[in-house]
Amino acid sequence: MTNRNVSTYLLVGLLFFAAIGLLTGLYAGLVRLGLTIDLIHSISPLAHGPLMVNGFLGTLISLERAAALEKKWAYLAPGFMALSTVLLLSGILGIGKILLLAGSLFLLIIMIYLYRLHPRAYHLIMIMGAGSLFVGNSLYLFNVPIYTLVSWWIGFPLLTIFGERLELNRIMRPPQKAIWLFVTLIFLWILGITATHIQRNISWQIASVLLIMLALWLFKYDVARRTIKAAQWTRYSALCLLTGYGWLVLAGLFGIWKGFPRAGLFYDAQLHMIFVGFVFSMIFAHASVIIPSLSGKSIPYHKYFYLPLILLHLFLLIRVAGDIAIAATVRQIGGYGNVLAILLFLGGVPYHLFKISSQKRKKKGSQLQNIA
Amino acid sequence: MPLDRDIRHRIVRELRGVIDPELGVNIIDLGLVYNIFCRDNKVVVEFTATTPGCPMRRFLQQQVEQTLDSIDEIDHFEARLVWEPSWSIDMISDDVEFFAQPPPQLQSN
Repeated sequence: MTNRNVSTYLLVGLLFFAAIGLLTGLYAGLVRLGLTIDLIHSISPLAHGPLMVNGFLGTLISLERAAALEKKWAYLAPGFMALSTVLLLSGILGIGKILLLAGSLFLLIIMIYLYRLHPRAYHLIMIMGAGSLFVGNSLYLFNVPIYTLVSWWIGFPLLTIFGERLELNRIMRPPQKAIWLFVTLIFLWILGITATHIQRNISWQIASVLLIMLALWLFKYDVARRTIKAAQWTRYSALCLLTGYGWLVLAGLFGIWKGFPRAGLFYDAQLHMIFVGFVFSMIFAHASVIIPSLSGKSIPYHKYFYLPLILLHLFLLIRVAGDIAIAATVRQIGGYGNVLAILLFLGGVPYHLFKISSQKRKKKGSQLQNIA
Repeated sequence: MPLDRDIRHRIVRELRGVIDPELGVNIIDLGLVYNIFCRDNKVVVEFTATTPGCPMRRFLQQQVEQTLDSIDEIDHFEARLVWEPSWSIDMISDDVEFFAQPPPQLQSN
């Protein structure tokens, strides 16, 4: 009865690799925060960024797109990403980096293919998102320092999500002028991050102003303003989106204030306001769509999912406060708390799936008993 | 073979239970279901997604299949994803109470 030509097992298998990327990336983040555990094979704290951006986000986003496209070749993108995660974790950096580049190239091809099928502004923005990852990974292959290339890695989830939001927000019927404004702001933002290679601080400050304008655009035109009045996953998703846009505004303000440091606590604050505050809010927002699409299992809604969301924002505020106040312990507490929030969200998904299926089994069992 | 009117109504009613989780609106009111007909003793539901790259695509397929499977009167069915014509916001039902209140399916849970 189905026309699906790719097995759910393949999707779940690749999803598993994205989870490996996330968990090892989080662990590398903890090591970066100062956690030391005696392990036979330790993960370098320097692997935190590459694992989170490529191992997790790269695999997940390319898998989501490949699953939507239903073309076998499209699975080369998440396949290469997954394989490179394993290689990076095994310390085989050279081939690992080449495969990362191959994965991002195939993701770019997927996005171009989608644009050719449906040439609209939102697909163009997604092409720029995949292009941003490709540029970042090209620089990574040539051992350019991460603080120099990280703006391209930021561009990947940011532009992909902006494209998705523009697509969905057609429903709000934004005026054509507003759509052009959004696309223009994105082009200018890309120019801004390109210019960071020449004049790092001023370019980042200009890009930060543009980021705030993009966030304000989303506040005005995103359907989340309406769906916040709905219920269950719909309301939850809207709250995640709106708080995520709030973090974009704060990240923009921080960028205007501090420019784009190359290392240290302000660098830490800037990156995590975007990657944790914005990107993880978006992941929480879309989990109710992404997981069923890939695994075939609908996640039952439960109020529990508000707990990790609240903890995510709360601990990020603590972390940023620790960064600004140059208080290492406060920053550490915030960082550990962020990991806890993500794990609570991640753990909540199988827990609630299991709970529902065991309730169904019990119900079926008692119905059979009644019949007997 | 024309599809029995009652079964058709039943299918439409049940498909109103398939809700886009992010919008909180069902796929009938969103205009994602294009056609419901019977061919070679098989009920065929033609539906679409908002774009070819829509991450909801597989989810919708599963939900439509599960819905058709749950209707006792239907023995054979096919949930067929189509791309022509492309979905547009003009396909959303005019009388849908869009976000005015939680849809009934959500309220009842």
